[in-house]
Amino acid sequence: MKALAISMHEAWLATLMAGFMSNTSSKQKLFDFSDILFRHFTWIEAEMVMAKEPYDYNREAIPIKVEKLSVILHNIIQRLNQIDLQLAVVSPDLSHRITHDIQYITGVLAQLPDEEVTAFNTLRKLDNIELSSEATDALTLFLFEESYKEYELIMIYNYLKAHSDDAYINRIFQILVDESFFHLKSFGDMMAKMGILGVPRTIFKEMYQVEDIEAFFLAGIDEELAAKEECKKLSDAVATNSPQLAQFFDFINNQENYHISLMKDALAHWEKEKNV
Amino acid sequence: MTVDAQLIEHMMEPKNYGTLENSNSEGLGKNPENGEKVIVYLQVMEEEGESVIEDISFQAIGCSTTIVAGSMITQEARGLSFKGATNLISATMKILDKVPPEDAACSEMVALALKASLETYRLRQEESDHPSVTYQISNDCTPKEEEKN
Repeated sequence: MKALAISMHEAWLATLMAGFMSNTSSKQKLFDFSDILFRHFTWIEAEMVMAKEPYDYNREAIPIKVEKLSVILHNIIQRLNQIDLQLAVVSPDLSHRITHDIQYITGVLAQLPDEEVTAFNTLRKLDNIELSSEATDALTLFLFEESYKEYELIMIYNYLKAHSDDAYINRIFQILVDESFFHLKSFGDMMAKMGILGVPRTIFKEMYQVEDIEAFFLAGIDEELAAKEECKKLSDAVATNSPQLAQFFDFINNQENYHISLMKDALAHWEKEKNV
Repeated sequence: MTVDAQLIEHMMEPKNYGTLENSNSEGLGKNPENGEKVIVYLQVMEEEGESVIEDISFQAIGCSTTIVAGSMITQEARGLSFKGATNLISATMKILDKVPPEDAACSEMVALALKASLETYRLRQEESDHPSVTYQISNDCTPKEEEKN
C-alpha cells in the first residue's frame, strides 16, 4: 500500500500544479480533481494505519516544467493509469471508488483544451501591479517560504489526524488542513502568475512523526506568530505599490489569529485529557 | 537577500533534494539556536585508491536560503574525490568568513553536513555500523563535533 500512497501523493501534487498553470476554466476542474486525489491519498493512508503498515511521506521529485499544459495533463493521465494497476492492495470498496474516479478524471483530462504555460517564465510580474525590485524580491522569497510551509502544515496535520482517535483534536486538525489548502492555493496561484512555480519539497519525517505533541503545539503557535510577522512585513513592503495586494496579506495575517486560537485550544484539550 | 535568476532556479527546482536510496554515508549539520538542520547523503565509490562522491542528496529543516545553499553545494560536490570535497568545504567556509554570521549560518550548516558525511564514511571504513556524525554551527562559525553516537 505504501507504493500506492506515494503514487497518489505524487499524482495529487502534479494535478494541483497543473491547476496553478492553467489560466482558463480548466483551472477549477484541475483543483477539484486534485482535491479528490488528496482525499484518495488520505483514504489509502487510513487503510495503512488500520493495517499497521509503516509509511512516511517521502516521494520522488515531480518534474512539472512544461511549455504546454497538455504535456503535464498527459503525464497525470499516465500516473493515474499506473495507480489503477496498483489498486489490488486496498479494500474492494476503496479500489472500486478510486478506479471509477480515475476512469472519469482521465477522460476529462484528455478532453481539456491545451494552453501555453507561463508559470515558469520567471518574469516576476503579478497581474498589472508594478512593484519595486525590493518588494518583488520580498514577495518572491515569501511565496517560496510560505508555499512550502503550507504544504508542510497540510501533511503534518493530516498525519496527526490519521493517528489520533480524539474527535475534538481531529476537528481542529481538519480545520487547519482546510485553511492551509486555501493558503497554498492562493500562494501557488501567485507563483504561477509570477512565473516562479515550484513543487514544495518533501518533508523531514520527524516534522510529522511527532513524539512530543505538547512541544509540537507550542512550536506550532510560535510558527503561526512568525507567519503573521512575515505577512505584516510583506504587506508593508507592497503597500506603496499595491494597496490591494497589501490588503490580501493583511487578510491572510488575520486568518492566522484563529489558527493560533485553535492551536491553543488543542493544547489545552490535550493537557486536560492527559491529566484525566 | 538579493534575488537573481540563479537563486530563483534553485528555489523553483532544488537540485539533489531528498533521501538517497543507495547511500553508504550521511552526516548532519545543525543550528542549535533554532533546531534547523541539514542531512547530506552520499553514495561513495572507491576508484583507483580514492573515495569519490558518486551520488549525493540532501534534506533540510530550514529556510529557502538553506535549500539554495544545499542545492548549489551538492551540485558542486557530485563527482568530487574526498580531497576535492574537503577543498570545496574549506573554500565555502572561507567565503562565509566574510559574511555576517546570521547570513552565513544556512550555508555553513550545509557545508558542515557535507563534512560530517565525509567523516561518517571514513569512520565506517573502520567500523561498518558507525553512526552518523553531526556537527553544529556556532556563533563564531567554528565547527565542533557535537556527537558521534
